[in-house]
Amino acid sequence: MNSMPSDSASMSFVDRVVVPGDHVLDLTGMANQTIKLGAGLRQDGDAISVMKAGKLRISKPNKYWVESSHKRYVPCVEDTVLGIVVDSKFDNFLVDIKAPMLGLLPVLAFEGGTRRNIPKFEIGTLLYVRVVKANNTMNPELSCMDETGKAAEFGPLKDGYMFETSTGLARMLLSSPPCPILESLGKSLSYEIAIGLNGRVWVNAASPSTVILVSNAIMNSEFLSAAQQKIMVEKLMKRLQ
Amino acid sequence: MEQRLANTWQMTVNERKFIEMALAADLRVDDRGPFDYRPCTITFGRHFSFTNRVGGSSEVQLGETRVMSYVTSQLVQPYRDRPNEGTLSIFTEFSPMADPAFEAGRPGEFAIELGRIVDRGLRESGAVDMESLCVVVGKLVWSIRVDLHILDNGGNLIDAANIAALASLLTFRRPECTLGGDDNHELIIHDIEDREPLPLIIHHLPVAVTFAVFGEGNIMVIDPSYKEESVMGGRMTITMNSNGDICAVQKAGIGISSSVIIRCLEICAVKAAEITSKINHAMESFNDGRSIQYPNFHPVDVAIQDNLPDVIMDKKQIENLIGHLAALPLDALDRNSNKSGAVVVGTNTRAKFENNQARDGVPFYSPSNWDPYPRKLCSRLARSSLKLSGLPEDVEEDKVNTTQSVTVECGLEHTKGASSSRALETPSEYTTVEATSQYIKAPKTLKDAVKIQNRKMRK
Repeated sequence: MNSMPSDSASMSFVDRVVVPGDHVLDLTGMANQTIKLGAGLRQDGDAISVMKAGKLRISKPNKYWVESSHKRYVPCVEDTVLGIVVDSKFDNFLVDIKAPMLGLLPVLAFEGGTRRNIPKFEIGTLLYVRVVKANNTMNPELSCMDETGKAAEFGPLKDGYMFETSTGLARMLLSSPPCPILESLGKSLSYEIAIGLNGRVWVNAASPSTVILVSNAIMNSEFLSAAQQKIMVEKLMKRLQ
Repeated sequence: MEQRLANTWQMTVNERKFIEMALAADLRVDDRGPFDYRPCTITFGRHFSFTNRVGGSSEVQLGETRVMSYVTSQLVQPYRDRPNEGTLSIFTEFSPMADPAFEAGRPGEFAIELGRIVDRGLRESGAVDMESLCVVVGKLVWSIRVDLHILDNGGNLIDAANIAALASLLTFRRPECTLGGDDNHELIIHDIEDREPLPLIIHHLPVAVTFAVFGEGNIMVIDPSYKEESVMGGRMTITMNSNGDICAVQKAGIGISSSVIIRCLEICAVKAAEITSKINHAMESFNDGRSIQYPNFHPVDVAIQDNLPDVIMDKKQIENLIGHLAALPLDALDRNSNKSGAVVVGTNTRAKFENNQARDGVPFYSPSNWDPYPRKLCSRLARSSLKLSGLPEDVEEDKVNTTQSVTVECGLEHTKGASSSRALETPSEYTTVEATSQYIKAPKTLKDAVKIQNRKMRK
């Protein structure tokens, strides 16, 4: 699709949609510099070419990666995801995190966890977990503790409602400054939300109608701009009154 | 085993509890009312090539659910106990791409149940006319096969599959076949380019409406989504047509009280009428597109009203008619000889002629204003002339052997203004046999009428 060879200033490709095969960076003019490549990019001799379709992003001074939105999740270390308990074994819980393979959550990976107080999760429990090891050949390993060993909001989520979205929407919801949809909803409603980078979102509120309203608003906001999101929320609020 | 666990869809405890709690408060998770259907779109297969006008394929999208239906026909031997009826069979294919729970290969329990529900609605309510599918009694009938492919399971497959089956049956056309050859025993299946293919006769549209039962059997919702189906305690499908006739009922799961069932039947009547009008609407827009491309194409009308009296002709008249029809070229069939002394069909049809001309200015005849009576006449003619050719009694050999086709192909009276009034002037003198011909000829002028008259007078 891109017939032009790479520009000397790769800034022209940043924040633009690229497709596999595009050369986004020419290394000949950049000797003695270190460039860090993230997901979706690889080095092809003297040029950096794209492997995954998506938007090219840069983080100063030298980190490049391609961001895309899928329904399937590829586990990455240090990602926080929402998993569903599928089975429990002697030393692991088998947790589904929308990845190609089931995640393994060690039974001791809880704050103050010993062999004596292993939590009992029934099949279908929703957990907020962190990815510790992610390798495309092995089952990803999960944990309900942060690096220091504290619980830090990880663990089972009670009540509420969970729905699935694409990974792109989940990332948008987690962006800082806060996403416009969450902000405008929060101005008039009070709700609790947990967002997993694997595309799962959990919402809880005092009344079921609030939960339904928030979840439908979020699902519909994926392709709306910030202004459109605000307008949609205003319309929904008017309907409530 | 672990891979299978990874691929199946899991439902969380939170979702289950929440859906049940919300339903107890009359709320549905996708913000619908309890008796609201999801948006439904019906699309038809693309048949834009001139040679491929048989139709018969439709795809229905009901929310996230997608079902495709394909209708094909074949000539087979009829069943021994029903020698004059065609057959209709429904096959389902639950592709694993629709749902990880579906497995390729043998159909599971639900696949068979779905096929059976659709089949019962269509066959046992007599929606599709079987007798018109007979070609040679006892030897050859048309077998209609409906294949339902589930493309995406978003809940409520039964309703979507039913709509798809109905839509594809409505647009399906089968090739016309006649008996011909040297001894009238050779079957000719006409190519779709030679003769317009014929639609199926469908008397009414049985529409399936599915209710999901929750709680103690007192909470009902229509058109359950995938998540609601995982949580529901039972299911009830009512197949009804827009007249309010119940064609079939299927129930599974927890018990429902009779008062709730009566309430559901009332709701179903409303929903069935809505869906029927949606199907008809989609059909109309499809047919409009088709007729613009193919001026010879005639749309089929579903609710066929039988409001013309039958013409009773005795055997002698039928023989004479066949003889005359065989003798005359096709476009002269309008002014058929009155030697048989047959009775004229009522004046209603002539009024309809005028209406049709006025419609778009184009002398385009659509059988949607016709009643099925001509088809009956044809089949009776077919059978009687078959009898004639088969049995030695009362046969006038010369007349019968000249019959080239059993189905009566009669020209349509494309008269404008003056000629139609001429038709009115001689009401009782000639037979106008209206038939299922799909022919359209060039608009007839006064000159043609005069020419034909001359020919007859010469005879």
